[in-house]
Amino acid sequence: MNVETFVTDKAGLVKFYEAIIANNETYAPVEKFGKFDFKRVLTLAECDPDSPITKTMSAKPLFFPRSAKILKYSADASGTDVKETDEDPLTGKRVILGMKHCDARGLQVLDKVYNWDYIDSDYQKRRQNSVIISSRCDKAETHCFCTSLDYDVENLDAMDVLIVHGLDGKIFIKARTEKGETFLKANPIDPASGIQHSASEEGMKKQYDAFAASFRLKMDYKNVNGKLSKIFDTPEFENVSASCIGCNTCAFICPTCHCFKISDEKIKDTGIRYKSYDSCNNGYFTLMAGGHNPRPVKYRRWRQRAMHKFVYYKERFGENLCVGCGRCAISCPVNISIFEVVNQVATTV
Amino acid sequence: MEQLLVPMICRIDKMIQETPDVRTYRLKFKEEGLMEKFRWMPGQFVEFSLLGSGECTFCISSSSTRKGYFDCSIKKAGLVTADIHRLLDEGDYVGIRGPFGNWFPLDEIKGKNLLFVGGGIGLAPLRALIQYCIDNRNDYKDFTILYGARTSADLCYKDEIKEWQENPLLKVILTIDKPEEAWPTNVGVVPKILEEVVKPVIENTKVITCGPPIMIKYTIQSLKKLGFADPDIITTLEMRMQCGLGKCGRCNIGSTYVCKDGPVFTNEQLRGLPDEF
Amino acid sequence: MDYTNQIREIATRLFTEDKIDVFVGYRMTGFDDNQVPALIRDPKEVSQLVFTDKSVFNLTNYLKNEHTRNKRVGLVVKGCDSRSLNLLLTESQVKRDKLYVIGIACEGVIDEAGNKMQNCMECVVPDAVVYDEMVGTPKGKQGYQVNADIHELASKELVERRAYFEEIFENCIRCNACRHSCPMCYCAKCCIDQETSTLYNGANTKSSAFHALMTWSLHLAGRCVDCRNCEKACPSHLPLHLLHKWNERVIFENFQEHLAGVQEGDRGAFYKYSMQDPNDFIM
Repeated sequence: MNVETFVTDKAGLVKFYEAIIANNETYAPVEKFGKFDFKRVLTLAECDPDSPITKTMSAKPLFFPRSAKILKYSADASGTDVKETDEDPLTGKRVILGMKHCDARGLQVLDKVYNWDYIDSDYQKRRQNSVIISSRCDKAETHCFCTSLDYDVENLDAMDVLIVHGLDGKIFIKARTEKGETFLKANPIDPASGIQHSASEEGMKKQYDAFAASFRLKMDYKNVNGKLSKIFDTPEFENVSASCIGCNTCAFICPTCHCFKISDEKIKDTGIRYKSYDSCNNGYFTLMAGGHNPRPVKYRRWRQRAMHKFVYYKERFGENLCVGCGRCAISCPVNISIFEVVNQVATTV
Repeated sequence: MEQLLVPMICRIDKMIQETPDVRTYRLKFKEEGLMEKFRWMPGQFVEFSLLGSGECTFCISSSSTRKGYFDCSIKKAGLVTADIHRLLDEGDYVGIRGPFGNWFPLDEIKGKNLLFVGGGIGLAPLRALIQYCIDNRNDYKDFTILYGARTSADLCYKDEIKEWQENPLLKVILTIDKPEEAWPTNVGVVPKILEEVVKPVIENTKVITCGPPIMIKYTIQSLKKLGFADPDIITTLEMRMQCGLGKCGRCNIGSTYVCKDGPVFTNEQLRGLPDEF
Repeated sequence: MDYTNQIREIATRLFTEDKIDVFVGYRMTGFDDNQVPALIRDPKEVSQLVFTDKSVFNLTNYLKNEHTRNKRVGLVVKGCDSRSLNLLLTESQVKRDKLYVIGIACEGVIDEAGNKMQNCMECVVPDAVVYDEMVGTPKGKQGYQVNADIHELASKELVERRAYFEEIFENCIRCNACRHSCPMCYCAKCCIDQETSTLYNGANTKSSAFHALMTWSLHLAGRCVDCRNCEKACPSHLPLHLLHKWNERVIFENFQEHLAGVQEGDRGAFYKYSMQDPNDFIM
């Protein structure tokens, strides 16, 4: 794919964003109570496409909603009827601004589980109809370790259109996928907006190098994969999980966690069935009717979480179920970091 | 995904009280023609929903060779099953999704001696296979069923067991855990009776076992002691499930999804999994 | 405020004298200046312990933890933490003789941005009220002042107030982290848990969040000690303290200036009944 690179400045980028928001159904990070969550926006003023990663929720709920209606039902004398729910508001054509690259990568990881065996058609439709336009981070935050995982951050094709804030103030815009290319063709850049073709991609490379150099956390993920797979029974899990309070926050805000539960809301003879997030750190997660629970204690649940991320998913689908975004560590009320935990466990072998 | 999670409506055709806390629900699809299209193999399970209360996983306890209906045997154990027992009656409607999961290795057990070892409600998945094998009796050699429960009242499928006992081609051994008055036969836990009374032939025999986790554990130990090889011991696992589609992340043991790769495993496969059940 | 040395000395002594099996304190994370609660079982690890104004989390939460159950526990408590400990003691959740409590005369802790936490500025009981040993210089009880946010909220019209709370419910993602992080929430079966209760379905809808948060806050009315563990845990940064502070104000004004857990043997405002209790706010 040989696509052109555009270059502009801050004012040009604002115009670029404004044109997108004006012409498309756009979702972008909107601040509420100091935290950015992805919502439908109508103007650039109400959102911040370059919101800080430390305060931005994952855009996963746009693809895998926190709660999705499965069905409505009604039961009367003539029997029970199941109606499928109203049309899903998330499956229309849309643009997502400000999704961090780690977050977008999370979708590529999730594609694997949603596209094996039974195919999740809603998820697929949401994926196909979404154009992700986002800028690459400028510097790594305390908990970031995306560059040390099994994907190439520089050439990542999880975002359809990549924006790079060059070190010298130049801003680059480049389509990364065919979808992105088609999008830029369908939404041509107005020459009056100050966005021009760029002959060189030198600035993008420089920005990436500076970004990559700013990482403090480095993980040898192959080592972690290999070692964790051998130490199912290590008592170390008990030590690292001791300070966990089992609050489930990490799973709810993770861009790759995908466990869910099914629950019913009953209103007399009618009701709605929902599919909503759940977490393996929840003590009831595997509790069976009758009282048997394979993971009755915290360290077993922690082990499941760590192993699912770095061993089981890798074995099954060939990817780590972690994108190194650090969201779990940022949100953890007791400051536990999965980076620290898996490294600590891996060193015990 | 959401469409895959929408159940088909079934009508409860018949309800049989097996034991004080186990009922068998005989189900038929409400929609015309669906029953004929619904194909399942012994060992597979369905997601059974009581709309408004929730969804639970149950194995189909009848064989597809018995046409026109399918059975689910449900023990009152948790919130949803309590609601099922409390609210459902003949003529009521429930939701069914499925069938899901793998099934007993029908080809591999062909031409072999079969030994079924069941405990309590664990006879339910075995019953599907037993019915299937009875209906294809010529494909198999010796046919032994060992079934135990805590008390004689806790034995499921009493009428059907009577039929099996009267069938000259089957050998049925029953046991209960503690002595009772007027109990005509064995007393003792299943693994003990297995070793002391059944004394099975090891050559050319496949053992299919299901029951409470603790029973499975000791039964497998006894079978090993008797000399059975791991690939000849077949069991079905119980894990908490929600979707049945390999998505919800609840039933995994290591990288194995019990709802997709199971629930039927040989002991050889089980030994390759992390010890988490 | 830095009591690191004192805490380490005490912990070492307790282990040497074989008075405790596990010490619950704070240690630094491996990568920034934040702290992780540390459950120390090995006396050699005592040197990890710290106590500074970053020691934010209320450690009494760990008394419901499987790592401390039926063990002799050494525990560090600040003023607010000790109030929850007081309540846990009267509610028979912990045994006093299994605990060795190190009370802190707290000067207030700081948030991520380095500012003093709002609840510390309005703190009524900075010094621990239950302790075996006190660290720091006690300041004594301070006067109660109604939270500034509550003042603002109270001045609003009912409709506006409702709209504000609805905004909170709308942004709730129903992870239940607030409930799990609360030291006063220890019920084995919780009524806002879908798995144990048929009242709530756990779906991420506004009505579900409304029910869950309201029920939860009412269950904590007269028991909340304003430690803000819930707010720290909330991934959506919801101002959950408003729910509790609102109740706290109503109770303070109507129940003989009751503040949860300040008095030894306090049972929470709604656990005692007196004919003199006002009831005009109920009807």
